Amino acid sequence: MIERWALVSGLRGDLETYDLIQRDLKKTRGVTALFVLGDLVGPERNCDALLDRLKNPHRGDLKPDCIYGWWEEQLLAERGFRGERKADALRLSQGEDAVSALLNTVNPSHLTWLASLQFGFIELDCALIHGSSSDVGDNLTSETSPLILLDRLTRLNVNRLFTARSTKQFHLELTGGGINSQVKDLNGKREQQQEVPKRSVIGIGAGLNYTLYDVGSDKTHFLTAGSKTNPKGKGFA
Amino acid sequence: MNHAIISCLHANLPAAEAVLNDIDRQGIDTITCLGDLVGYGPQPNEVVELIRNRDIATCQGCWDEDIIDGLNACECSYPSQLAERRGHLAHQWTDDQLTDENKSFLASLPTSLRRDRLLFVHGSPNSQHEYLLPDMDAFAALERVETAGADILFCGHTHQPYIRELRDGSIRVRLQNADHDCDQGEELTLPMRKIVNAGSVGEPRHGSTNATYVIHNDATDEIEIKEVPYDVGRTCQAIVEAGLPKVFAWRLSHGFEFAEQAEDASHVCER
Ligand SMILES: [Zn+2]
Ligand SMILES: [Zn+2]
Repeated sequence: MIERWALVSGLRGDLETYDLIQRDLKKTRGVTALFVLGDLVGPERNCDALLDRLKNPHRGDLKPDCIYGWWEEQLLAERGFRGERKADALRLSQGEDAVSALLNTVNPSHLTWLASLQFGFIELDCALIHGSSSDVGDNLTSETSPLILLDRLTRLNVNRLFTARSTKQFHLELTGGGINSQVKDLNGKREQQQEVPKRSVIGIGAGLNYTLYDVGSDKTHFLTAGSKTNPKGKGFA
Repeated sequence: MNHAIISCLHANLPAAEAVLNDIDRQGIDTITCLGDLVGYGPQPNEVVELIRNRDIATCQGCWDEDIIDGLNACECSYPSQLAERRGHLAHQWTDDQLTDENKSFLASLPTSLRRDRLLFVHGSPNSQHEYLLPDMDAFAALERVETAGADILFCGHTHQPYIRELRDGSIRVRLQNADHDCDQGEELTLPMRKIVNAGSVGEPRHGSTNATYVIHNDATDEIEIKEVPYDVGRTCQAIVEAGLPKVFAWRLSHGFEFAEQAEDASHVCER
């Protein structure tokens, strides 16, 4: 049987977009799981209806598994769920108005649920995280140095890292290479060779742009909800 | 020009004096200290004052940080629960002994120092608590140096001195994105970088009781690990007299720590 994951992020309160994605997924073969990798909320619009729907899926909805993202982190910090820390990153990048806008878009009754969301999921040999293991705001793109990408994979000891923070869609595979290392200490010298492990980082997109991942064949499909180009299940063995 | 790098003095005054004498004898007058002035040892005020009086450029170690911020590090700092209890005891004792003036000196220390292409930190550029062990993943090791924008990274914290050269590195990648399906691969050539661990002056764990430090020549990039014997017995006696856990004295007189290595040394404390 095909096992296929749908990966979504950056909805930022947009129920219409979520609805379009759910409709797409109903027409797509073999989708077994829906992961929402954070940024459920955002400062642009009221987020309560989307949060209600995520918590209480409609009949026929693919049940979403959610983690928190950068915007939830800002909201929760400002609401006192992160100790001393406030929404400093948001305040610094977008100012006081953005902070109050964010607070106004989410009814406080949702905070406990948002605070219960995990930082990430490890499924099989894949990590699903909003940013990276280093930080929820870690902005990984296809332009990020492969050395940094490899480090983020190594920290989690996974073969694939799905990330959403950059909002970009990409699949960057590490296909080869290596490094030599020489260690000298008081006992002498030793040489060591290490190969680059075959690992990938996948940017899943945001909003209408989402990703399907075929677990068995390790294929990614980058899609836009509501457009006509759904994979009909071809392209994988 | 030769300069010396010392780390992890850990309130061991006889060891600190012996190492500074050894450096002075060679006519080296640039010294950089990578922190952990206190903790484990019996003479925290004396060691801090020695460094202050000699005006030695110093960055903040994990112990220096914990004395200032309180022990809110996650358990990852300790390899076992027993080690954690002993660590807490030593922490409390050190906290009681240190004068306010010496505490504010520790609080004023920067987390890193930079001189041109040389970077000095206690643990790693990420954290005073991260261990850069000699055999850690070579790409991850290179990432620490490269991301920090240094050619040579000087660190301590493991109490094991080493010089690691990372070279001839490359990573091949293949990109697929939404616009174009699969473009041809690319290869990134990685630069040569070094990590130099200064070991420990006051609590060596490299298999000998001698204090260790490092000398670097910034013209030739030659690096040498130095070993200095000191009066271990004097420090051990002072540890016992101060009422600190006897195991600290035992450890000093053996020069390494049985079964007390962190299990996951690459774990980064995320408090
Ligand atoms: Zn130390
Ligand atoms: Zn340390």
